[in-house]
Amino acid sequence: MSGSAHSEHAESKVRYGMVIDLDKCTGCGACSVACQQENNVSFRPDESDKLRTLSWMTLYRLENGADWPDYRAAMLPRPCMHCDSPHHSPCTFVCPVNATIRDEHTGIVDHVAVRCIGCRYCMVACPYHARSFNWWDPKWPKSMEAMLTPEVSPRMRGVVEKCTFCHHRLNLARDRARLNGEDPDGVVYTPACAEVCPTGAITFGNLKDPNSDVAKLAKDPRAFRILEKLHTEPKVYYLSSAQWIRRQSDNGL
Amino acid sequence: MSLGRRAFLQFVGGAIGGTLLTPIPWKLADDSAIWTQNWSWRPSPQRGEITRVRSVCQLCPGGCGITARLVNGRRAVAVTGNEAHAVSGGGLCPVGASSLQYLYAPYRIQQPLKQTGSRGDLKGFKPVSWAEALKEVTAKLTQLRSGGKPHTVACLTGQKRSTVTRLWKHFLTAYGSPNFYTMPDAADSVRLAVALTTGMDAEPGFQWDKASYVLNFGAPLLEGWGSPVYLQQVFARWQTEKPGVPRTGLVHVESRASLTASKAHRWIACNPGTEAALALGIAHVLVRDKLYDAAFVAEKVFGFEDWIDPTGAQRKGFKNVVLAKYGLEDVSKTTGVAPQVIQDLARELAKQKHALVVWGQDKADKPNNLYHDLAFLGLNALLGALSPSGTVALVPHDPWPDFPEPVLDTDAYRGAGQTALGRPSAVPRTKAPVNSVMPFLEALASGSEYPVELLFVHEANPVYSLPEAALAAQALQKAGMVVSFSSYMDETTQWADLVLPNHTALERLDDVVGLPGAPYAYYAVSSPILKPLYDTKNTGDVLLGLAASVGGGVAESLPWKTYEDVLKLRVEAIAKAGSGLVPSADSFDPASVRPGNILKPNFKDAADLWNKLKGGACWVDAPAAVTFATPSERYELACQGLLASVSATAADDLFMPRFHPLKPSGEESEYPLLLITYSSLMLSEGYVPNTPFMNKLLPDDLLKKQDVFVDIHPQTARSVGLTDKAAAVLKTPRGEARVRVRVTAAVKPGVVAVPQGFGHTAYDEYVQQKGFNANSLIEVQLDPVTGLGTVWATRAQLRRA
Repeated sequence: MSGSAHSEHAESKVRYGMVIDLDKCTGCGACSVACQQENNVSFRPDESDKLRTLSWMTLYRLENGADWPDYRAAMLPRPCMHCDSPHHSPCTFVCPVNATIRDEHTGIVDHVAVRCIGCRYCMVACPYHARSFNWWDPKWPKSMEAMLTPEVSPRMRGVVEKCTFCHHRLNLARDRARLNGEDPDGVVYTPACAEVCPTGAITFGNLKDPNSDVAKLAKDPRAFRILEKLHTEPKVYYLSSAQWIRRQSDNGL
Repeated sequence: MSLGRRAFLQFVGGAIGGTLLTPIPWKLADDSAIWTQNWSWRPSPQRGEITRVRSVCQLCPGGCGITARLVNGRRAVAVTGNEAHAVSGGGLCPVGASSLQYLYAPYRIQQPLKQTGSRGDLKGFKPVSWAEALKEVTAKLTQLRSGGKPHTVACLTGQKRSTVTRLWKHFLTAYGSPNFYTMPDAADSVRLAVALTTGMDAEPGFQWDKASYVLNFGAPLLEGWGSPVYLQQVFARWQTEKPGVPRTGLVHVESRASLTASKAHRWIACNPGTEAALALGIAHVLVRDKLYDAAFVAEKVFGFEDWIDPTGAQRKGFKNVVLAKYGLEDVSKTTGVAPQVIQDLARELAKQKHALVVWGQDKADKPNNLYHDLAFLGLNALLGALSPSGTVALVPHDPWPDFPEPVLDTDAYRGAGQTALGRPSAVPRTKAPVNSVMPFLEALASGSEYPVELLFVHEANPVYSLPEAALAAQALQKAGMVVSFSSYMDETTQWADLVLPNHTALERLDDVVGLPGAPYAYYAVSSPILKPLYDTKNTGDVLLGLAASVGGGVAESLPWKTYEDVLKLRVEAIAKAGSGLVPSADSFDPASVRPGNILKPNFKDAADLWNKLKGGACWVDAPAAVTFATPSERYELACQGLLASVSATAADDLFMPRFHPLKPSGEESEYPLLLITYSSLMLSEGYVPNTPFMNKLLPDDLLKKQDVFVDIHPQTARSVGLTDKAAAVLKTPRGEARVRVRVTAAVKPGVVAVPQGFGHTAYDEYVQQKGFNANSLIEVQLDPVTGLGTVWATRAQLRRA
């Protein structure tokens, strides 16, 4: 795990990260639906233009390239990787207005929509295509406005948005810890995707806590990260025992 | 004073410099940023106290626990799983996770509607009061009953696991009509097969957690078959390494590289629809090499050896038939699986301590060929999976005594004498009911036999989701009066004369009886998460009201005031039986539930159980040990129950498992390809359509603008001259559609794989105009024995558009 060697930042004992077990993931998409609901991600009648769609948790299909009947496919859910590369994540490095910054206490890469000027440098910089741009004002059918959650503000036209590791849930968990007189740093919380996953393929927690499931799984022999060669140091790990899946990790999605 | 060039530039330069020194430009930039971010049409969700309500999902038979998050108790903002629920844990599927989008859908029906124009005219619907609407239905019911035609009232429901289904049946029986139907389901044929072979009305419950090896013939376990979340969790347990415990192996047999096939430990690719032949080929090897469970077969199986039928005729047993007819070479030719592979599979299967054979198709929404169900069941019997130490349990479809017997008055007797519309005469008489919905609709559409004067459609959308959807539309138009209870303006409700909208799944009190595929009995109560948004009524209550106003035996048979009373009666029956418990997620070990080993109750009385269930928990119990109530008191590999259905001179193999594909219509020269359908958890193909949330999941090589992609192999693409993403016309003997092709090695050459769940014409702009409805292309073939509508493959042609 990197991110500890930030000379200009005090060393934090918290690095939230995620492990997604692709051997368990069945590509059902519940994670992505729960994410949209949790974060007021807006939708349009036609969502098939994937360059224009808003998606924080995207499912990619991986194929082994063999012919029938040796063909195999697997699904790979991709949230924001919350890159932990020294000094900056690729996106935070290019943001001219500090709209996207990494919280060095938690390692979470946040995006403050109201600061964002919509230049989309971060989208260009992100090697994981984890960011989406609001090409239109969000518009919900009138009756569905009632189901917008007050915990996450809807974004507006002209800004970028992306996965925040359900940062608002962290804030709630920290508040609860304070009220209970516990240490708010390093509280355990669960993002919406991990919570809903029917196979328990998504594990979330503090990578720096050696006793956490997520830290143990990140050291599993099956663990790998995507595009490790770029040294972006993603905090999202994947597990797979299939060679053909692991081999695709370095080739981009 | 003249302004020179130099002075002008100095002035402009000075002005720019000066302005930059003031806060004006920064203030303006900031203000404009704020201004552009606060358009009045961008909603600001209202804040408030956040509360949680637990319930059970009603959107499919899966029975998952849910938790709704509300703001100020009025606004539901999220539905997540319920981690305390013993069956689903905290997991949900995409449909359950986006269930609020059904509650808040713009296509909800907000009050009773009456069609004032011609049928199908959306503008003709006019709001009416509940009193007025109910009066009209009551008048029609009373008139038909007193006119001696109670049998001309029919009900078609898509709700298969709720007490309201039983209530409908009870209502119709008391009223005097045999015409009660549910939407097609895999259980329709499986229950018949189980009843023929074991003499019990039950569904097979698979002991997933006990099995060491699962041989799965086609059931998309990870793509919506059975109870989706429950099975995903079973799969996750298989995938979790536990020290000292060997992993459960999953071998999947299917023609297409579905996700289940890809995720299985081994995938056996066979020709479409030949899974049953492979099962019999495996049985052949088991019998030939004496690898079957000899003790179980000798003691508990009838018809393995040659037998004598009641007329005294000598009949060949399964052993001799399977040895003669399902030789490896023949089976290999049919299935496309190499003889060596079949032999190895059989040997591997026989080696297992706890082998389990499962089978199925799509989202378990299509009945199977009876003989094929018998083949898979028979393979389980050969392996001893039905023995006490086996992996298959028999779970009664509904474990509690029925409602009190309906009171049949003279009017009811007049109708009850009539046979159900379109029911084939050959249907075997067993303990299991026969859901002959396809023959019913065919008879209704063709106008043969008698007409249907009043048709109730409840929680079903047959005009869209019935295989061969066009038949449903034709049938509906022939019905005298159509009353829809749908919460949504769906394709079927558009054809209704009267709409009596039900509360949606999240607004009503209802229950879930049984968990498909699970090896135990299951019961859960789903309580409303919030007050109904619109002027709708729970159909259970409406039905009780109708019964009261019809009067006579109907009112006597349905004496309850509210639907809640009916559900409480159910819970009382469970409490009185004194077995089963309300499990908690941390202490419940599904592997510990063994047939015959009833669970000790952990609730005090019916009231305590009711409160626990209303809090979102569930009740489970082990089923009784497998017993055989057949004429031979054994498992009948040769079903004596079929004697009345097939002629007395029928060949010996007509009584037992056999591979019996029904020939699809159309000539191979005209339709050289085979069309198969597939389902996915990202697509809802039943009563509810896809939500906007779910549409975001669909890849752009499945849906692009209005085009849906069908999968073909590169070789097929070359033979029909199509390239990847090309537009094409897909034609079958039943219809044609504009499609685009995805060229992929996931399907066998010569096969077109078509997704289900697209092509809606009703609802709203988020649902409409996306591709074509697979149900308009597929061909239904009626099983000659049961009359159930089976679907396996349809002949098709693909040409450049």
